[in-house]
Amino acid sequence: MTEPNQLNPARRQLLIRGAKAAASIAAAAGIASWLSDREGPGRGQKTEDRGQLPDFSAPRKDGQVLSIVAGQDRVKTVAKAIELLGGIERFIKPGDIVILKPNVGFASPPLLGATTHPDLIATVAKLCYQAKAKKVIVIDNPINDPASCFAISGIGKAATAAGAQVVMPKDNQFNPVTLKDGSLIKDWPVFYEPLAGATKLIGIAPVKIHHRSAASMTMKNWYGLLGGRRNIFHQDINGIITELAIMVKPTFVILDGTTSMMTNGPTGGSVSDLKKTNTMIAGTDMVAADSFGCSLLDLKLADLPYLSLAEKAGAGTVDYESLKPVRAEVA
Amino acid sequence: MRLLSGKARGLESAIGTLILFVLIATAVGVYVIQKNVNMARFGQGQTSEEAPAAKGGLNLSSFATADFPAAGNAETYNNDNLYEKINGKAPMYQESGFVSLTTQRFANKENAELGLELFLYDMGNSRNAFSVYSRQKRADVTDINGIPASYKTSNSIYLCAGKFYIELVGFAESQELIDAMLIAAKKMSAQLYDEKDKITELSYFPDETVAGSWKLQLANAYGFDGLSDTYSAQYKVNDKMVSIFFSKRKNADEAKTIAKSYNDFLISNGAKSVEPASDVLKGLNAGLLDFYGTTEIVLATGRFVAGVHEADNRDAAQKAAEVLIERLNKIND
Repeated sequence: MTEPNQLNPARRQLLIRGAKAAASIAAAAGIASWLSDREGPGRGQKTEDRGQLPDFSAPRKDGQVLSIVAGQDRVKTVAKAIELLGGIERFIKPGDIVILKPNVGFASPPLLGATTHPDLIATVAKLCYQAKAKKVIVIDNPINDPASCFAISGIGKAATAAGAQVVMPKDNQFNPVTLKDGSLIKDWPVFYEPLAGATKLIGIAPVKIHHRSAASMTMKNWYGLLGGRRNIFHQDINGIITELAIMVKPTFVILDGTTSMMTNGPTGGSVSDLKKTNTMIAGTDMVAADSFGCSLLDLKLADLPYLSLAEKAGAGTVDYESLKPVRAEVA
Repeated sequence: MRLLSGKARGLESAIGTLILFVLIATAVGVYVIQKNVNMARFGQGQTSEEAPAAKGGLNLSSFATADFPAAGNAETYNNDNLYEKINGKAPMYQESGFVSLTTQRFANKENAELGLELFLYDMGNSRNAFSVYSRQKRADVTDINGIPASYKTSNSIYLCAGKFYIELVGFAESQELIDAMLIAAKKMSAQLYDEKDKITELSYFPDETVAGSWKLQLANAYGFDGLSDTYSAQYKVNDKMVSIFFSKRKNADEAKTIAKSYNDFLISNGAKSVEPASDVLKGLNAGLLDFYGTTEIVLATGRFVAGVHEADNRDAAQKAAEVLIERLNKIND
């Protein structure tokens, strides 16, 4: 006879199975809840997960902060500009993984000067390999159909031909980044993953007039690292360019003023928007590089408030002559 | 020992099968959603749409020549995603009544390098379209005969047609490309331009005004937020070029108020009042100002606020203002 406090074996088995099933469901629900990202990429990350970009800057060398080379041939002028800063070996060491960040913002051909000229990408990539870089990677986040932008700008083809790898932006390569003491870059998705694995970063930008920011040069070029609905930053364009100049610490930058877009920037569209200004600038101080770039656009420093804001934030100097830029001319 | 009866075992199998079915359905659902995730929901990813003519838009391919077939689908952009296509230039269009942009690329069937992109901006009305057209008009360009409000450069063609502002941007400097774009531009103008869309205010300028130099600022002209719907043009006095402008207001009182405010605005920004030499200007109590070495003139005549902007030569500025006043007074009459 069964004792009153003893369960029927079948009933007990059912309860055990039921308990196991409930535990399994609870565990699955718990794991799902833990893994779920209800707010999507770039948002809702915990404070301790917020990223910072690596510091790629090179040690400063007085007298070799800024170089300005006159000439029409980009291949020659950029090589000379880097040479005047101490040569590519000053910046690139054997085994380095180098990121090149051109302006690939538009599906626009090199003729129109809206994007970085592909000859520059090819030349700089080759120089990096000559200095025994392990890998050269070319990145940008054009938003509008990156494949078309890299193809029509000629940058994809030039990079590949020079042995560089082109990394198109993918959603999972963006990490939320917060600039310490920044007011705009807070938990904002940044094209982070390629940078996280790199050891050097070179920004390469054309000189352009810009409807919103007055000019687009090396500092504005970092805008292309931002993901998300970055157009909201157009409301405070000087603020965002300043914060980008603080956040991104490149190894050096190249400002291509071989032709400058004088009107209808940043897209241009007509060859008549361009002027031959025949100048290549390289430097470890992007505020100084852009300050010099103003002169190519017939702008005053005061026309670009972000320059003085960046200077106040310690990102560089607008008084580029105080750096005693090294000048040269190549035929 | 049998733990469960046959009936209970059958029920358990049915429940187990149901649970498995639900799990499989859930997995399939997750896979499908993940595969088609809309990153735009999170503010990332491209959000432009293909723009088939079936949606009621224009079929851009119909304007292309046989030698330049479409090299991709048409795409449309609206106020939310215009920046994806033109980035920093988007605000200029949006401040001027932008409705939508349709673009499509075309390429020579024998030489893919010989490509072009057609940009069709729907600006809502012809005045908005003319405003963005005129403000971006390049200097030293050739107006195109037979196509109203149009010009070409060495690689591109620009025109206004009805409520549309149109850009045909060639990817090379090639006569073959220009010829193909001209055919497309003529077709578009013929289909989209209507005489009623003509900007009548342009006829208010003196006859000697430099043809094609007209501009329309819908708002915030010369940095002053009180000066809207402002037409300007180049006027030549002997060999001196002067920029003249006017804005038609509701009535003479409003014109006087705005003229005074603009005069005060210039003074607050460093301009110095100067006594006019012209009796016509004195008679209208016009403001003649030295603005860091250039001359500004601001006045009200009838319903018009008018004047001269940033003239290098003061005498030429006053002469141009007199001619403009005479013309506007005829309109007032």
